[in-house]
Amino acid sequence: MRGYGSTLGLYQSGSGVLYRVPLWLKAVVSLACAVVVIAWRSPATSALALVLTLGALTVGAHRSPARVLQMLLPALPVLGILAVYQGVTQGWQQAAAVVGGIAACLLAARAVTLTTPLQDLLDGVAHLARPFRRVGADPERFALALSIMLRSIPYLAGLFVDVRDAARARGLERSPRIVVTPLVVGAVAYAHRTGEALAARGLGDDDATDDPPVRRAPDGD
Amino acid sequence: MIEFRGAGVRTDDGRTLLHPLTLTLAEHRVSVIGANGSGKSTLLRLVNGLLVPSEGSVAVHGRDTRSEGHAVRRSVGFVFTDPLSQLVMPTGREDVELSLRSRKLPAAERRRQGEAVLRRFGVDHLADRSIYDLSGGERQILALAVVLAVEPRILVADEPTTLLDLRNDARVRALIAGLDQQVVFTTHNLDFALESDRTLVVDDGRVVFDGPPTEAVVRYRGIAAAASASGADGT
Repeated sequence: MRGYGSTLGLYQSGSGVLYRVPLWLKAVVSLACAVVVIAWRSPATSALALVLTLGALTVGAHRSPARVLQMLLPALPVLGILAVYQGVTQGWQQAAAVVGGIAACLLAARAVTLTTPLQDLLDGVAHLARPFRRVGADPERFALALSIMLRSIPYLAGLFVDVRDAARARGLERSPRIVVTPLVVGAVAYAHRTGEALAARGLGDDDATDDPPVRRAPDGD
Repeated sequence: MIEFRGAGVRTDDGRTLLHPLTLTLAEHRVSVIGANGSGKSTLLRLVNGLLVPSEGSVAVHGRDTRSEGHAVRRSVGFVFTDPLSQLVMPTGREDVELSLRSRKLPAAERRRQGEAVLRRFGVDHLADRSIYDLSGGERQILALAVVLAVEPRILVADEPTTLLDLRNDARVRALIAGLDQQVVFTTHNLDFALESDRTLVVDDGRVVFDGPPTEAVVRYRGIAAAASASGADGT
């Protein structure tokens, strides 16, 4: 299994002002970017947001514009489909506004995850989720779930590439079933392994109770 | 101290993975050897409550793995054969810090302790590298560091050297040998088993020998030879 953590959605160590900006400020600016491109939807607004986020990552995280644009590659198929759909149904100006806006939001969000260590992100989410304690929720567990989700996205993207390559190697790339079946099986196995790894470390256990874990019996070894 | 009190494991369809077992493990180093599918891993998983017995019970330092599983898992670290099954964060630093989250420390203190753990195991220079960019040996040492970060009283390791080359096998064995904790491990490496104080031989879900490692290895070789001969005979 290849590692795709460095190309999609996760922290990469580095220098630059964005690494020193507090998480809350980065989150607020990222959110503001989304609000602006939705509230003032136009090609000009989206273009401006795109230029600003590109500039922020280039200057603030010391990434070349080419590397920043590469961050959008995984989203390109979806953005392409959306652009065509919007272009045909709403016109090409609207398509540019929507797709450009989404791309800007993705880069703004990426600026947060790229420059914030996952544990700091977890702390932030746990802090944000504290009020939910009143209704019985565990903020730490909430943060853990989010971090596992963030971790899983690049893993599954990598798994997809591996499965597709394996299908190509056997000349079976035209069959969606050949790709989808092992992808689903791999995803379930990954979920099981992750759950077991967390359980083995006592992470995600309920602090308040000591309920026995419910585990399937293994294969026998 | 680990106590098996008639602990056995059956699958939902009634297949027996581990026959009821009663024994106490108090030695500093305990090895478990046996063929693939013999029940070694099942036995190990009972120790930290990853698996609860279908019958009987298992207690670790007096705590029942069924009724006090949470407390048991916090005092028993578990190392998987494949470190990629163990490491759930993108980098070693983040994974060590994830382990330390259970201590509910302030972020700065958690970071400091994480750094200290990585230094202690000599993997601080790998802390920010993707776990996928590390060698098998580096990953396994990192996996050990991740588990030992919270200083469990017992370490359980399921074939921790199986995927390693000779050099990394020696590194991991030396690291385990230097631990203060009680260690229970499964292995196919009989030299590694000989380094323990007590060895269990598991065959077909039963502990068929329990005693000194040298005698256990002789017994296991006999079982393997008999199985091989019966396989050759087609029986």
